[in-house]
Amino acid sequence: MNELEPYFRLDWLSGSVAAFVAGYTVLTIVYSMGYMRGRQAQGRYYGYILLTCILSIAAVFADNLVLFVVCWGLLGLLLYLLTNLGESPGAAKTAKKTFIIIGGTDSLMILGLALAWSLGGRPSLFDLRMTTLEIPIVSPVGVMAYLCLLSGALAKAGAMPFHTWVPDTAQDAPLPVVAFIPASLDKLLGIYLLVRLNVDIFVLTKGLYVFLMLLGSFTIVAAVMMALVQHDMRRLLGYHAVSQVGYMILGIGTGTPLGIAGGLFHMFNNSLYKSCLFFSGGAVTREARTDALDELGGYAHAMPVTYTTFLIAALAISGIPPLNGFVSKWMIYQSLATVGRNSGWLWTLCLASALFGSVLTLASFMKLIHAIFLARPARKIEGKKETSLLLLAPHAILAGLCVLFGVFAFQLPLGRFIGPAVGTPIDYPGDWHTLAGALLLLAGFGAGAVLYIIGTALRARTVEPFVGGEVLEEQPAMRMSGVEFYKTVEEVPFLRWIYHAASQKFFDLYELGSRATLGISRMLSRIHTGELPTYLAWCVLGIIVLLFVLLGGSA
Amino acid sequence: MTPPSYILPLCVALPLGGAFVTALLGRKFPALAPLLATVVAAILLGISLLSVKLLLQHGVVVYTVGGWPPPVGISMVLDGLTAFMLVTINLVVFLVVIFCLDYVNQFTARWNFYVLFLMTLAGMNGVIVTGDLFNLFVFLEVAAVASYGLVAFGTEKHALEAAFKYAVMGSVGSLCILLGIAVLYASTSTLNMADMARVLAMSKPGALTTFVTVLFLMGFGMKAAVVPFHAWLPDAHSSAPAPISAMLSGVLIKALGVYALCRVIFNVLGASPRILGVLLFIGALSMVVGVFLAIGQWDLKRLLAFHSISQIGYVILGIGLGTPLGIMGGLFHLLNHSLFKSLLFLDSGVIEYATGTRDLKAMGGLRAKLPLTGATTLAASMSIAGIPPFNGFWSKLLIIVAAVQAERYGYAFWAVLASVLTLASFMKVMRYAFFGQLNSRWNSVTEAPFFMKLSLVAFAVLCVFGGLLLLPQAREAFLGLASEAITNGTEYVNMAVTQAR
Repeated sequence: MNELEPYFRLDWLSGSVAAFVAGYTVLTIVYSMGYMRGRQAQGRYYGYILLTCILSIAAVFADNLVLFVVCWGLLGLLLYLLTNLGESPGAAKTAKKTFIIIGGTDSLMILGLALAWSLGGRPSLFDLRMTTLEIPIVSPVGVMAYLCLLSGALAKAGAMPFHTWVPDTAQDAPLPVVAFIPASLDKLLGIYLLVRLNVDIFVLTKGLYVFLMLLGSFTIVAAVMMALVQHDMRRLLGYHAVSQVGYMILGIGTGTPLGIAGGLFHMFNNSLYKSCLFFSGGAVTREARTDALDELGGYAHAMPVTYTTFLIAALAISGIPPLNGFVSKWMIYQSLATVGRNSGWLWTLCLASALFGSVLTLASFMKLIHAIFLARPARKIEGKKETSLLLLAPHAILAGLCVLFGVFAFQLPLGRFIGPAVGTPIDYPGDWHTLAGALLLLAGFGAGAVLYIIGTALRARTVEPFVGGEVLEEQPAMRMSGVEFYKTVEEVPFLRWIYHAASQKFFDLYELGSRATLGISRMLSRIHTGELPTYLAWCVLGIIVLLFVLLGGSA
Repeated sequence: MTPPSYILPLCVALPLGGAFVTALLGRKFPALAPLLATVVAAILLGISLLSVKLLLQHGVVVYTVGGWPPPVGISMVLDGLTAFMLVTINLVVFLVVIFCLDYVNQFTARWNFYVLFLMTLAGMNGVIVTGDLFNLFVFLEVAAVASYGLVAFGTEKHALEAAFKYAVMGSVGSLCILLGIAVLYASTSTLNMADMARVLAMSKPGALTTFVTVLFLMGFGMKAAVVPFHAWLPDAHSSAPAPISAMLSGVLIKALGVYALCRVIFNVLGASPRILGVLLFIGALSMVVGVFLAIGQWDLKRLLAFHSISQIGYVILGIGLGTPLGIMGGLFHLLNHSLFKSLLFLDSGVIEYATGTRDLKAMGGLRAKLPLTGATTLAASMSIAGIPPFNGFWSKLLIIVAAVQAERYGYAFWAVLASVLTLASFMKVMRYAFFGQLNSRWNSVTEAPFFMKLSLVAFAVLCVFGGLLLLPQAREAFLGLASEAITNGTEYVNMAVTQAR
């Protein structure tokens, strides 16, 4: 094993991330066996999935920076190929966009690698051991090196400003792929790299920590605001995938052990409930053959198990105790307060946006749950439609883990692998006894249920709603599909302008870049007229300039 | 034991003889031309691989033509750079010839094609092996004139126009080179490059050398198609038949342009920091301008041609850094570019062969019909875009690292930007040509014939595993010796003179 020693390294962080990767691969394959049945190119599909798993694990275990970048780059290619297997008409376009963003930041990572090497003082480029570098950031070059490598992490995790591929991919890639890569694997990998960068590869300055915290806060709020107004289930979930990354960056950006642990915990939690949401939502939309919210509705009765898992995951992502999302968010809030003890007012801003983002998350999931499960169905649903066990098992397991990680947060994930991964002992200022809390909450709910049953439910009678004598089913306009929720947000004076700009893709780095590029391209093409004399004139001009430059100084 | 230096003239004599025989007998025996070309290319590939072994055993090898010692007679020199270029050229040409076996069937007068093809090969090999500056010019013209003919081979309107432009601009470049050689000859009284370097090293560098440098920069720059001397390339390379485009973009511009430029500037004239600065700037300019022009194109081959300008920019940038790592990166990128760009042009040839179009907008979903072409194009696209672990990644990595090491951060940044845009434009190619919905026009399209596929697969394998050349032993034997030949500058060719005596 000694030959491998300089290239790979197993520690608690890489080990636990790799374990999660393997777990998601199994679940995804099980789900795909149900979901992708009858599609074309099955062999290629499963091949890519397995390769993605292997390369992700290799990337996580890699200790050599060059090896890491190689695995990392190939993962982008695999996502591109998997997205192209999507059957929606936009798949090819989305795949292109995704790979340009991810591959483009990979190129930046090469520059970051080169800069890190020049600072790291290692004789050979191939000697860069990730876990032992600890480059202090003292010069602008150091900042550039950090930012270049960071861009790779941000793009992979889908944080702003490299986030725009996530909602598109969520919409166009095959659903199991969405649940597998953008929702879980890429989060794990991106945040893994972020932690490695912050903890092992660089020694960050205070300014960079502040930068990360602001970036995280902004990502939380901006993405969740976009999620509020989406009309497509996958796209809505895609924006949440962006928003949740903000919490992780915010936690890790505090630089405290508590914050890093919170960020990592949130990373694991997010991958649990986000894949669960995509899996269970996908089960519904596969049944309904549409992702559009206004064509769904009423599936709570038809698919009760799916509804339950979706609900658990939705509550978890909204940070409702005693589920896992609450515990990790709570840790992040505490770490913000700890940072706030020593410095300024900035932390209040971050804390406020994190809380605000959490509220908006809940709000947008109310919309989603209403639209998919509770609203009056757009089309009549005949009887029970619960899906096959293959589709059901993965999200049931994930929902179970969401509960488990919430109720036994300190005993299981934090104590077993996140704590050792962070290394330094974690100090929890704010007390939250997960199990006691859960039991009390359960007791409260139980009491409420008893009161409800005794007080209301037993005395209720069922009648058709009276709508001025009209038959409700014949009035499509009377149906509340859920799409109308929060429509007014788009009309608030300042926000209206922002939403409009967003719909014009003004905040999409990719769109801006491509517009600028094509503009320059057109300009350059215009001077290439195809006329020989013009071209010869350039040559003469070239000679004159060269003469001027080379002879000018020596005279 | 004297080294078997006679393999050097064979590099020129074999293809030239092949061209002669083909011209004589090609019309009578139509099967002869492709067979002869393939055999010649295969032998030359063997010879070039042998030359690497020879170099490792004996160091620099010099062959004196007719036994006349230099500087009186013409000499042929095998050093690291020569061996490297020989392998690059003959490898690409061999695979292209295999592709031609099926592709050329669509033309009439096939034997003419092979005559010109072998002439070009002879010219390129001649430029590489010769140690004499005027000889270099002659071989350069042989290759150039033959390539004018090849560009016009399709004899369609745009092909003829492109060939005309190429011929005019190529001649202007050649004239500048000839003028530079004349001036140098007048001042040093010798044409042997090694001897010339010795004489120049003794005299003080003056305005004359600088003037000659400018002439060579322009002349060889024209052959290499660096900005602003690039304007002929997109027309010429996109109008030629696909295998010819592959050869022109893959190796011709490098043999006639980059190699000759390096040889003359580094080994004969001596590279001052200022000249290196100019090379850096020209390289970066070509890199960026080329890629911006490429991304807006809808004609597949034109897009590829503009990328050649951009990629040559990388090569020049790496070499212009002047550090061992930079030069190694530049040369490695030269090799890699010749592999993936040839592959891309051959793929475009398959598409044109199957569908008859080069317009990206008219394609779509071809992956279903041309799976192998799609896969190889993807591999080549990943290589040119520098996605790890394809070969282009490693050379770009070296160039960027070298730029950072030389503290040329700005150039490193431009290299990264151009890389991102390269990726973007090849994503465009993949999306419009291969992915997406199948255009119903192409329902009856079939995959290429056997030899074309064979060639594509061979290139793709080289693209995927090309990075292995960076493994320590391979690096020392191949890339290391080649870049040493440049780094050692003028001293190295002096060794060539002492060797011969």
